[in-house]
Amino acid sequence: MINVGIDVGAKNIKIVIVNGQEIIAKGKVLSGFETKETVMALYDQLLGEANVTKDQINLITSTGSGRKAVDFAQKSVTEVTAAAKGATTLYPNVHCVIDVGAEEGRSIRVDSNGKIVDFALNEKCAAGAGAFIESMARALEVSIEDFGMLSLQSDREIPMNAQCAVFAESEVVSLLHSKTDKKDIAKAVNDAVASRITSMTRKVGFENDIELIGGMAKNTGFINALKKGLDSEIIVPENAEYVTAFGAAIYND
Amino acid sequence: MIDKFVQWEKNRHQYAKDWKARTGGKVMGYFCTYVPEEILYAADILPVRILGSHEPHDVTEAHIFGMYCPFSRDCLAQGLKGRYDYLDGIMIAQSCLHIRQAYTSWTKHIPVDFEYYLPMPNNVQSPHATPYLTEEITQFRKALEKWIGRELTDENIQNGIDIMNENRALMHELYTYKKNDNPPVSGADTMEIAISQQMVDKREHTQALKELLAELSGGKSYSKNSGTRLMVLGSENDDIAFIKMVESVNGTVVADDHCIGTRYFWNNVKPNENLVESIATRYIERPACPSKDWIDRTRIPHILSMAKEFDVKGAIVIQQKFCDPHELDIPAITKALQANDIKTLFLEFDVTVPIGQFKIRVEAFLEMLQEDDLF
Repeated sequence: MINVGIDVGAKNIKIVIVNGQEIIAKGKVLSGFETKETVMALYDQLLGEANVTKDQINLITSTGSGRKAVDFAQKSVTEVTAAAKGATTLYPNVHCVIDVGAEEGRSIRVDSNGKIVDFALNEKCAAGAGAFIESMARALEVSIEDFGMLSLQSDREIPMNAQCAVFAESEVVSLLHSKTDKKDIAKAVNDAVASRITSMTRKVGFENDIELIGGMAKNTGFINALKKGLDSEIIVPENAEYVTAFGAAIYND
Repeated sequence: MIDKFVQWEKNRHQYAKDWKARTGGKVMGYFCTYVPEEILYAADILPVRILGSHEPHDVTEAHIFGMYCPFSRDCLAQGLKGRYDYLDGIMIAQSCLHIRQAYTSWTKHIPVDFEYYLPMPNNVQSPHATPYLTEEITQFRKALEKWIGRELTDENIQNGIDIMNENRALMHELYTYKKNDNPPVSGADTMEIAISQQMVDKREHTQALKELLAELSGGKSYSKNSGTRLMVLGSENDDIAFIKMVESVNGTVVADDHCIGTRYFWNNVKPNENLVESIATRYIERPACPSKDWIDRTRIPHILSMAKEFDVKGAIVIQQKFCDPHELDIPAITKALQANDIKTLFLEFDVTVPIGQFKIRVEAFLEMLQEDDLF
């Protein structure tokens, strides 16, 4: 059975085509302004890559904050449920799923059957999500890709006190003016985001067996800070940013 | 029939102005549902609860602390903007410091003919609470008599009790329909009825309720909503847009523990020889606001009993930002609900709520409640 999961996030649209639970095509594109057209273009491209026609598709399920824009999807599911489904299908022993994307961070506690027991989402602020890292990377004039590795080179602890992305940026600018090394600032930013996610994860409760998904799972410095904050190992699946789209694709299995 | 309640709620100020022009009577703005409206009805005064408008505003900063709850600020904003310019009097019964600050600031900046602070005791579980409140209501009765220039007889007081009791009993009857598998009135419409209950002349509200209940007993339904059964509880909540959003994603609000809603009408006055004492007893024994729910937490068994009675599957726990009494209660209430297999979703409210963000949370919560069927 060939199914499609479309995750319309704040920053990127991710599409996964599965045959059963096997991913046969996946791709992502910037969300942009014309969501539906962007989704359609990527979808058509991936159908070609997977060598399947629209007639062969059994079910299309949308998820993500912009999921309602995908009006040709037969099903729709929240990113919380899709993330839990995708993450626990990949790693059935996982009891806590942390999903950090561009504008939202989520901690989801699941039971041994993969059912959601509780969840929390970051509140009204991007300081606990990827958009904040992007903004800080711009301020430091380093690429997003280099930001995580850069922070791993630091062993300094510089606390960031601001709870707001805008004020936190002011703190970063102050650090730049005081000639603080870029690697130390990068670590301070990753530590700050990890601290917010750690706090949210403690609120929903967690045991070991934590899985991190979403775009921020590519930030090695953030993963390191999160491991330290939660005092736990963290599973990071391959293609972590596609896990929610994968969860949507297999949602009705 | 529902439309009548909606029109009252939407045009609350015009209603009060029209009432005043029509009857020549006085209108009293009040800040908290511990105000004994029986005495006001005995004096032929229209009680109108002061509520916010859920619009961003910039007029309260100079008059109320920044860490006081958005509801108290929103209420004060309405006064400062002149939206309650028809009030003849303003009063409060002590509940929490935040709303009291809104009241004291109102009396300072928006003078009216009559103002009254009624020291409703916080320790309602004390044996002294009823005699204390009886005396305070007696003092209030005297102050009111002086203002209106006539004595309030026991017959007047009995009339006030009857008006309030009948209206509260009918609201109870309305809620019995919400126990149905498919409640004929949605949560959003129920909130419209509950808000209008606090500002429309109870005699008119009662008549409208009777007509609505007659329709419902004849099998009429105003709602096709048969989604997951939810309870909402916590701080003051008159956010109809929020309830509509919850019901648009297949939740059905069937019960509440809010001061707009059940806490306002759940119990009645049982008149005895001392009518004022019987009124005091009613307010001492009503379902408590958390500012008055100590030493024992009586709210927990009450909420659990209501959840069972209305077959609730999940509860949305609401706290107005900075609302300390509710914030202190929420961990214990959440724990008790979850121990009884009722999952909870906590949301923090402000003057305006981020409907889009809350929608994701509510939808995920509903999916979690339904997940036995999904996984």
